[in-house]
Amino acid sequence: MRSVWRHGDEEENSEEEEMTVKIRFFARFRELLGTDIMTDVVAGTMFTSLITTIAKKNPEGYAAIFDEKDAFHEFVILMKNGKRIDIADAAKTPVADGDEIAVFPPVAGG
Amino acid sequence: MSFGEEGQERLKKAHIFIAGAGGLGSPVSLYLAVAGVGTITIVDMDVIDQTNLNRQILHFDRDIGRKKTASAEEKLQEINQDITVNATDVKIDETNAADLVGEADGIVDAMDNYPTRYLLNEVAIAKEIPLFHGGIRGFYGQATTIIPGTTPCLKCIFPKAPPLEVFPVVGVTPGLIGMVQATEVLKYLLGIGELLMGRLFIWDGMQAKADEIRVERNPKCEACGDMVTKKKTARKKK
Repeated sequence: MRSVWRHGDEEENSEEEEMTVKIRFFARFRELLGTDIMTDVVAGTMFTSLITTIAKKNPEGYAAIFDEKDAFHEFVILMKNGKRIDIADAAKTPVADGDEIAVFPPVAGG
Repeated sequence: MSFGEEGQERLKKAHIFIAGAGGLGSPVSLYLAVAGVGTITIVDMDVIDQTNLNRQILHFDRDIGRKKTASAEEKLQEINQDITVNATDVKIDETNAADLVGEADGIVDAMDNYPTRYLLNEVAIAKEIPLFHGGIRGFYGQATTIIPGTTPCLKCIFPKAPPLEVFPVVGVTPGLIGMVQATEVLKYLLGIGELLMGRLFIWDGMQAKADEIRVERNPKCEACGDMVTKKKTARKKK
């Protein structure tokens, strides 16, 4: 949703300036949800809510990442711009324009 | 030969421990054997099943019902008579892991579960030897090289094990990831090239895309958090 609004010819950025974030899923998550998803978010969007919104597009994908209490499965790895985000911090970690988010499971087979 | 007689001699003197004689253990052990790694210890507890044969290329149709270790020892010894192969038929657990690894110069993680991987990680940390990690699922794979005290350990990267599952496998994926692991072993032993240190290599066979994710040590890691950070180079001690 476009949230930059205009007065006449002057553009004014609201508190809800639009930003684009790239989400990369890996392995099983990628099979279920795709990858390199470019999505527009408003300022103040948190990591968890962003992934929740994207994952809900496929119930199987959602169940692969989140448990029945809508929390990340404890084994899920979350990264923002190459830095690890603890699951406990994800709900209060904001995403910003240009961020690259990675979400992946440990791959276990041998 | 790209590393000369001296390099070959280094490989001959080396001892590599391979945990698992399955999908990853097969290609890793075969290529380390033909490269001339002097001593290969390979450990597995399983019997060969027909369903293994789509990927576990150490084992043939005629081996169904045999111990994987017996088959592995026979094949590796046949492919290179000049190396020593120790194959041990046992389940790796907390009581025997350190003894099994013994004086090996490095550990290849060719396991299919995280609890055992975490044990190998602890042994690698305690002995200060590298752990060459690999994992696969379907057309996806990952690999990294863990140098205790320098790179993140397995627990830094993957603090919690995923649930056990029966995962789909196609043989080409452990083939490819096993080659990444074996390449890392050779580079480490020879002291050449850039290891996958602090980098998680990720392979997506469906898209034919390789990625890498930077990974960092966790200062609060329960396995390696108290290790002092060492310099960023790694090579086998002569």
